[in-house]
Amino acid sequence: MDDLRIPIGSFFVILGVMLLIAFFTITTGPPLSSPSVNLWCGLAMLIFGIVMLLLARRGKA
Amino acid sequence: MKPGVIDYIILATYFLYVLGIGWLVKRRVKTGAEFLTSGHSIPVWVTSLAFIATNLGAQEVIGMVASGAKYGMLTCNFYWLGAIPGMIILGVFMMPFYYGSRARSAPEYLKLRFDEKTRGFNAITFAVMTIFSSGISMYALGLLFHVVLGWALTNSILLSAAIVLVYTYLGGLTSAIYNEVLQFFLIVLGFAPLSIMAVWKAGGWSGVTARTTAWMGAHSQFAQNPDVMTHTWKYMGHASSNMMGVEWFGMLFGLGWVLGCSYWCCNFLVVQRAMAADSMASSRLTPLIAAFPKMLMPVVVIAPGLAAIALHQMNIPGILVPKGDTYDYNLILTNLMAQFYPSGLLGVGLTALFASFMSGMAGNVTAFNTVFTYDIYQSYIKKNASDAHYFKVGRITTVAGVLLSIGAAYWAAQSNNIMDFLQLVFGFVNAPLFATFLLGMFWRRTTGHGAFAGLLAGEAAATLTLGFSAAEGAGGWFGAIHTFPSAMAQNFWIAILSFMSCLVFTVLVSLVTKPKPVSELENLVYGYTKMPVEHNVPWYKRPILLAVIVGTACILFNLWFW
Repeated sequence: MDDLRIPIGSFFVILGVMLLIAFFTITTGPPLSSPSVNLWCGLAMLIFGIVMLLLARRGKA
Repeated sequence: MKPGVIDYIILATYFLYVLGIGWLVKRRVKTGAEFLTSGHSIPVWVTSLAFIATNLGAQEVIGMVASGAKYGMLTCNFYWLGAIPGMIILGVFMMPFYYGSRARSAPEYLKLRFDEKTRGFNAITFAVMTIFSSGISMYALGLLFHVVLGWALTNSILLSAAIVLVYTYLGGLTSAIYNEVLQFFLIVLGFAPLSIMAVWKAGGWSGVTARTTAWMGAHSQFAQNPDVMTHTWKYMGHASSNMMGVEWFGMLFGLGWVLGCSYWCCNFLVVQRAMAADSMASSRLTPLIAAFPKMLMPVVVIAPGLAAIALHQMNIPGILVPKGDTYDYNLILTNLMAQFYPSGLLGVGLTALFASFMSGMAGNVTAFNTVFTYDIYQSYIKKNASDAHYFKVGRITTVAGVLLSIGAAYWAAQSNNIMDFLQLVFGFVNAPLFATFLLGMFWRRTTGHGAFAGLLAGEAAATLTLGFSAAEGAGGWFGAIHTFPSAMAQNFWIAILSFMSCLVFTVLVSLVTKPKPVSELENLVYGYTKMPVEHNVPWYKRPILLAVIVGTACILFNLWFW
């Protein structure tokens, strides 16, 4: 493995997508918050993952 | 708490990733040295994050949330006093000797600097301790999942042990370190939303302050100083005015100097991560760069505990649940997750718990196999074998280490007393080490006999103090001649006395025994080691400058939350 940023980046992209899927499919929220936290956290992880992948690509070029 | 399908998919994805990283690293690991020490090849940003991740085990995360609820901001002392100074001392003063001596482990440094018996003593106590601590944390994780999710204890213990075993067996230290970086990000991104939501719900930081103050005023013996939850030092003047039952001197000297430094500077578990760095400069920068995120960790792990008290004060049920005549603080983290995380994020939170457990356990396993292979097997069982032979031994030791940990987990499950006792002992068994390493590195007159006598004296002083003092109804087997206000105060004072005895005995015995000739001290002692110079490097790569920045920031944090 050459660059650790690729597995980390792709992992968080997948996690982000899964949270977005959860946001669109799950309607029951826990007692103290709402299902919309899946949206925000999903987006945050997606962005983090993409940034990691971009850094890896820039590092390679 | 009832995880859904998506939560299990997230957990499974994570398991696939850690195994995948182990498999990818395997191709790069061709020799025993690469397997056990990473062959000094890892970039600094990776070693830095692994450095804190390996300490961020499940017990640390769950325990810090629990302490946040029990002691409030006083818990920050474990970071801003008990960690940052030790990490600075390691990076600035000690790493040049660890890395420069080319020792493969901390015990091996003791062999090079002192003698075989000092190394043997350190290697054996360390090996035993790592097995038991990974067993105890395995049991703690299994118990938590049993209580919260209803999983059988054996299932979670065997599942997590098997995964750690596979990826450490495949890729050794490099695999453990690479996974620790993934685990670090997962722990932070998985728990930070919980902290933010809990504090938000409690009315922001001002809400947390007001509500914890109201709570302490009404429900504790601290009605005189109800704001004790949100200050780090203000009520440290006397042991009776804070929940920890510790006064400033015990805190400063016991936690900050002795326990903090002996852990962060002398415990091979963490030092191994810095030793794996790709250059001397990187190895020194490792703890210093790690100190920045470490300093901010209270936001993720202590704030939720404080918020839990505030939410409890708002009469929100299900977070702070009673247990006997007190509360079950260890369940706060998972209770908060059940209250705040919808399916999806809940999977991320559970995965983060697994990740924190695995980072701690893999740290123990990789440190254990290096110390066993090089410091016990190679020195006492089979010297001068080929690297391929030690590679094989390292792999077998990895399997044995995991199996022994599982055994220790079931043993700890037999009785709570065993577990409490072991945790009490682990609290200070390292304490004298800091005196040994400090004298060894900075006083060239220190001898092997001196170091060994000092270590024995340090452990003896610890045992005697524990035997002759009582705290919270424990200890004092030989008749308590002193009673400490709390178990924590007892632990800090045991550490202080242990450190002092080690220091005094090492110096006295060294003065009457023959020192090593100067020719054998090269790269081991200050004055005979070429200290690295950094004139032509950018500012962010200069250890001393980074140390000043992180040290100043740490002091400012202490003042901010004084």
